[in-house]
Amino acid sequence: MNLLLTQVRATLLFYRSVAPFMLGVSGLLLGAAMVSAMQEGFTRNLVFRLLLLKLATAPVVWYLSEQLRPGQYWFYFNLHISRRQLWASMVGLDAALFLGGVGLVLAVMS
Amino acid sequence: MRNIAPSPTGPQVLEADGIRIAFGGREVLASIYLRVQTGQIVGLLGRNGSGKSVLLQTIFGARAVADASVRVNGRRVVPAFRQPGLLNYLPQEPLLPTSLSLARAARLLGVDIERATARFPELRPQFGRRLGELSGGSARLVQALLLLHANTAFSLFDEPFSGVMPVHVESLAEEMQLMKQHKGLLITDHRYAEVLPICDVVYLLHQGRLLRLDGDVRELLRDYGYLVS
Repeated sequence: MNLLLTQVRATLLFYRSVAPFMLGVSGLLLGAAMVSAMQEGFTRNLVFRLLLLKLATAPVVWYLSEQLRPGQYWFYFNLHISRRQLWASMVGLDAALFLGGVGLVLAVMS
Repeated sequence: MRNIAPSPTGPQVLEADGIRIAFGGREVLASIYLRVQTGQIVGLLGRNGSGKSVLLQTIFGARAVADASVRVNGRRVVPAFRQPGLLNYLPQEPLLPTSLSLARAARLLGVDIERATARFPELRPQFGRRLGELSGGSARLVQALLLLHANTAFSLFDEPFSGVMPVHVESLAEEMQLMKQHKGLLITDHRYAEVLPICDVVYLLHQGRLLRLDGDVRELLRDYGYLVS
């Protein structure tokens, strides 16, 4: 239980470090989706394509993060969390936030 | 909570071997056998570029090396950092994320920061600060103390005394000697005058080989060209 709680806190902490970029991408995609929805209406297919597009930006953030902050993992390693675990949790959280944003946009537009 | 239970018959033993690393065709680590047990402080010395940090990172598990074997009480643990309660590692670069206060970092690491810094009352007003807001020496000291007091069987420290003022170096060395009752410490630092007196075992990385120095350590360090006089 303690380990799980630590992992959740560590994921949130790690997310904070990449949030400006991740949330920026989400904002851009949501903006584009709103424009598209105003013209063609929101479809289930559009949500799926948006999510795929959003997930496709994760490797870019990962690459930039590795290049710009190679020493960022030491603290997490000391919490027994691997790179893979950290990124998987972070991408999951980001996707959930993004879908929440899409849901919010849908609610506003309907 | 430690996953690897203390050996009922004695101390826990961390062993590493089979580590071979080459950079640009130059073999940095070739013949390695290292052993640390709880209750010991083990010193790792070597010239710049001899592979000390790489060796610590490989043992920690942050650097994947084919055929590397890291064992605790004979059981393979690769990558070792994934085993809760087994070991932690102080890198040369800043350990804590920039957004994190010392108090929050201590909580995440499961460390009682008041207890960890009891010998250093001047650090108390800094608990709410972030690492980047501290002087270099204080930052180094706090990070070493947090990992020293974390509930792990082993701690690997890369240059823990770097930038720390002499009075704190002495206190940190005393703290290490106190904490070795609970864990095994593997330390690499060029401040050999401070490191040697607290070490139970000293290794020297020399031309890719890890040599255990027994007998007159200073004399041997001179022979291998680590010290001049």
